[in-house]
Parts: sequence; C-alpha cells; structure tokens
Amino acid sequence: MDFKLTKEQELIQKAAKEFAEKSLMPIADKIAEDNKVPPEIIEEMADLGFLGIQFPEEYGGTGAGYTCYPLVLEQIARAASGVAMVLSVNALGASAIYAFGTPEQKEKYLPECCTGKKLASFAFTEPATGSDPKQITTTAVQDGDYYVINGTKRFISLADLDGPIVIFAKDNETGKPTAFIVEKNCPGYSTSEQWNKIGNKGGSLVDVYLKDVRVPAANLLGPKGNGYGVLQYGIAFGKVGVCSSTLGGMQAALELSIKYAKEKAHRDGTIAKFPTIQVAIAKIAEKVEAARWLTYRLGYLAENMKDPRAFAKEAALTKAFVTEAGVDVSRLAMGIHGSYGLMDDYKVSTIYRDMIIGEQIEGVNDMQRMITAGSLLA
Amino acid sequence: MNIIVCVKQTVDLQQVRVRKETREPVFDNVPLTIGNIDKNALEEAVRIREKVGGKVIAVSAGSEQLADTIKEALAMGADEAILVVSPEFEGADSGVAAAALAKAIGRVEDYSLILLGEGSADNYSGQVGPRLAEILGLPQVTYVSSLEVENDTIKAVRNLDDCFENVEVGTPAVVSVVSEINEPRIPSVTQILKAGKKPKEVFKPEDLGIEITRSIDTLSNLAPEQDRKRILFQEGADKDVASLAAALEAEGLVRR
Repeated sequence: MDFKLTKEQELIQKAAKEFAEKSLMPIADKIAEDNKVPPEIIEEMADLGFLGIQFPEEYGGTGAGYTCYPLVLEQIARAASGVAMVLSVNALGASAIYAFGTPEQKEKYLPECCTGKKLASFAFTEPATGSDPKQITTTAVQDGDYYVINGTKRFISLADLDGPIVIFAKDNETGKPTAFIVEKNCPGYSTSEQWNKIGNKGGSLVDVYLKDVRVPAANLLGPKGNGYGVLQYGIAFGKVGVCSSTLGGMQAALELSIKYAKEKAHRDGTIAKFPTIQVAIAKIAEKVEAARWLTYRLGYLAENMKDPRAFAKEAALTKAFVTEAGVDVSRLAMGIHGSYGLMDDYKVSTIYRDMIIGEQIEGVNDMQRMITAGSLLA
Repeated sequence: MNIIVCVKQTVDLQQVRVRKETREPVFDNVPLTIGNIDKNALEEAVRIREKVGGKVIAVSAGSEQLADTIKEALAMGADEAILVVSPEFEGADSGVAAAALAKAIGRVEDYSLILLGEGSADNYSGQVGPRLAEILGLPQVTYVSSLEVENDTIKAVRNLDDCFENVEVGTPAVVSVVSEINEPRIPSVTQILKAGKKPKEVFKPEDLGIEITRSIDTLSNLAPEQDRKRILFQEGADKDVASLAAALEAEGLVRR
C-alpha cells in the first residue's frame, strides 16, 4: 500500500494550487458577490485541462482519469467554492453521458463540456421530490422519432447556460424514470429566476420548465426505463465532486484556524497557547485527513470501477462522512474564531455556509446511509 | 535555435518549516521541485522557441529523484532533458555544479543560448552561470530582465538595481535571468501527462568524466533569528512619533 501521489499527480495538484492562488483567490469575493464565474476563468480552467480532466482524450479530455479529479477540485474549492461547484456540476452531467451514453452521444456532447464552450447540468429533483424516483412527475411521451417532455425540475445548477442537461422523466411505455439528454434553452425549455442559495456562490441555481420539449429518440440516455440506474450511478460520480469540494473548504478552514490561533493576541501570547484551541485544531486536522484519503480513494474507485453497485455504496459512505465532517470542521473553525467568525468579513463564515450545503445536495446524508446499510445488510 | 536551460532540483521552499527550538529547516516529506528563477529561465526559453523555432533542452545535475523532478521542466515546455544523477550532488557547491553542467552541455552539438536563473532557490550563490561561461569559454550576461534574440545576436537588458544596462552579444552565450523577466506558465494537465514520455538522457558522473570534489563544508544551516524588540511608545502621539522615528533611525532602518 502506497499513499504517495505519483510525480504526475503531484504536478497536477500543484498546477491546480498555483492556478487557484493566482487566478481565483484575488477574485473569490467578487465571484461570490456576483454569483458568476467570469468566462475567462472557465477558459483558463479548460486550457489547463481541469474541465475534462477525468475524460479520455478522444472526447476532449486529458486522459488523467478520475483519480486526478479530486486533486484539482480540492485546490479550486480551497480558493473559491463557487468555481468548484461549476466544475463539479459540469462533471456530474458529463460523467452521466460518459458512463451511459452511446459513442455518438459522447462525441457530440463531451468535447464541448471538456473545453468549457458549454456546461452540462443534471436534473432529477422536482418540486415534490428530491430523492425518490417513483415520485417524479415529469413525463416523456414518444411521438415517432421524438419524445415530448413536460414537467418541472427544481434547484438545477447552471441550467440556464447552454449545454447538455440530463433530464429524468417517466416515459409512457415503461412508466418508469428514463434519462434523456436535452439541449438547454431549446424550444419549450425555460428557466425561473435564480434561487439565492446560502453558500457555494458562483453559478446559477434555477428551476427548469419543460413544455412540450421535443427530444430526438437518439437522445435517450441508457435503456428506456433505466433512469434509476443512470441516477444512482451517475450521481455516484457526482459525489466525487461534492466530496472534493468539501475537502477544499475543510483544508481552507484548517489553514485559517491555524493562522488565526497564531495571530490572535491574548496577554503576552496568542490564543494558540490554550489547550481548548489546540484540541479544536487537532480535531479539524483529524477530520481533514480522514476526509482527504476517503475522497482520494473514491476518485480512484471511480476510475477503477468494476461493480457499479459496489461503487455506489462507497460513494454514499464517503459522501455522508465527508460532508458531515465538513460541517463539523466549519463549526470548530467558527469556535476558534469566536465572534469574528460570525462576521462576513472573515472567510470562515463563508466556509460555514458552504459546508452546510454539502449534507443536503446530491442525496441527503440519511439517504446515503440507507444505500450503505442496504448494501451491507443485503 | 536550440536553447539549453540549466535547472536545479531543490526542496519546495514553500513547504519547508523551520523548527522553532533549533532554527533548523525541516525537510521531511517536502517534495522536490525545480527552482523558481529556473522556471523563469525555462519560460523565457520556451517563449523564444515559440517565436523562432528550435528545441529547448533542460540540463541538470542532482540526486536520484532528478529523473522524476525534471518532469516539471518537461511539462513546462522543455523538449528534452540531459541529466547527471548521483547522490554525491546532494549539497554540492557551485564549482561542482558548473563543472557537471558543462560536461552535460558538451553532449549537445548545436546550441545558441544557455539560460539559467540568477541564483538557485536554495543556496543562491549566483556563481553557476559565470563559472559555466568560464569553463565553456562563452560570453556571459547576468541579471537579465528582458531578452530579445535576432538571428545571431542577443539583446538583453540587465537589471543592476539602481540602473538598467542594455547589452548586445553574439551567440552562443550564457545568460542568467532575474525573476521579473516573465511569469512562468502553469503547465496544463495534458503537458504534465506527456512530460514523462519526452526524450531524456541520464548519465552517471563517471560516464561524463565528472569528478565530484568538495571545497566547501557546510557547518550549519539555520533560519535567521526573528526576535521582536517589543518596544512600546506610550507617551501620546506628539512624543511617540518622534520617538518611533528616532528608534528606527538608531536601528539603521531609515535611509535617505
């Protein structure tokens, strides 16, 4: 067993860190304030190969594989969680297309997502359901070589920007959820005003309205009636992104806490001398380290997946642990900062708002534990 | 135009901590990298190649990990590398480094320019460039902050702190650069993955007739002491400003 990065992995991590520190950190506040990642940042990430890092070269990616994806995303999230969110959402949509798409679908949609010309989205959630596939009400009715889709999707990231979106709808033949690739902003496709979420600011979050959207039958993603499979395994890849983004925020919280503890004066020293502060910092470090290696392992498993069900369980287990640890870490970091941590002027408050999101998205953590327990008790 | 860039393997200085009690640097688990100013030299070489064509050849002498460390230079745009590898290079002085680099450069038949940083990231002696020029019998231009290459002529601006000097020299020549000459590029993932596949020649010192002798013994390597004086001025703004100015002057920190 060797817990060392290869030289290439080390250099990829270093490149991401350098990019994050030079290009993102100086504008991180502005990105959050505008809730928008500047196009030149997307372009720079595409040029550096970050947008397509996990996909093969033939589809516009780098061929570095999923193992390298957490290394990059962690560094980006450490600087600007909203930018990591954009990258992660694009990767979620693109991964579903890569895992379940036909060669033609991959050729058509992946290169534009890897180069940042378009950004992918993934739409399962509806106003009445978050995680239960049986409850979805969006419908797809076959009409010759087309499907006609009607319904509403809720809380969908980047859904107003051009690019492919993976949409789940019950088809009229099987009555079960089926996945389709829809081109955003096509006729009949519209989006709501933006939701104003509490953290991870940097990209839009909207509802999607589908009114008689005509999708070619060739855009069916995976077999008809297999939407649950696409959802479960597609979103398992998405969890690599959530965990990596959370890890970056946790690392930032650790660094901020150490810096604050060593600078905040108390009598003739700093607060770092207090055992309570030391214990809090040690607890943060424990959780960061555990989260890091679980996340890196999940990236490795995504790249070397043999059994999708087994991978879905590992993704669920990792996601629940890492996002919960993220909340714990942000609270500990807030505690170290005292009242200053409650101020928007201190980045630790931003991290707290970012971390609280992780437990809820891409399947709430209780659902993750159902998946894990279901696998263990089967 | 073929350009040789000399780079040095060092620990990543950003990740070196200093042990408070002993002031000794802690090198445990610190990754190796190539020096920051070396990267400026490499970036300049790659930019020249992009304009006029040719090859950029990274040359280095160092310990066994060098074959791995050099991938960073290859990812940043070097086309190939010539390495001299031996554990004996660990802590070797500038004379040894220059002699080894000269021998390695001897493997290249045709080159117009040898670029390096003004000083290495760790020892910063600034001697390797001038020593190399002497050994190879080439003209040298040091502390270059701007560089242009036209046919067989190199036009350089030297940053001499209180003035700039414009220099012209014929090729081949040795040029050492300062960090403000450019902003080194961040290598893309694709370039990083291709780096390991680029041509690389690895020699042992004896293959090239290099003798490693030591003329310098390092007695200690300690971080500077950073004790604060903790002087407080508490007699009111009128008096304190004058007292602060006088104290700074007494410390030699205020100059005209």
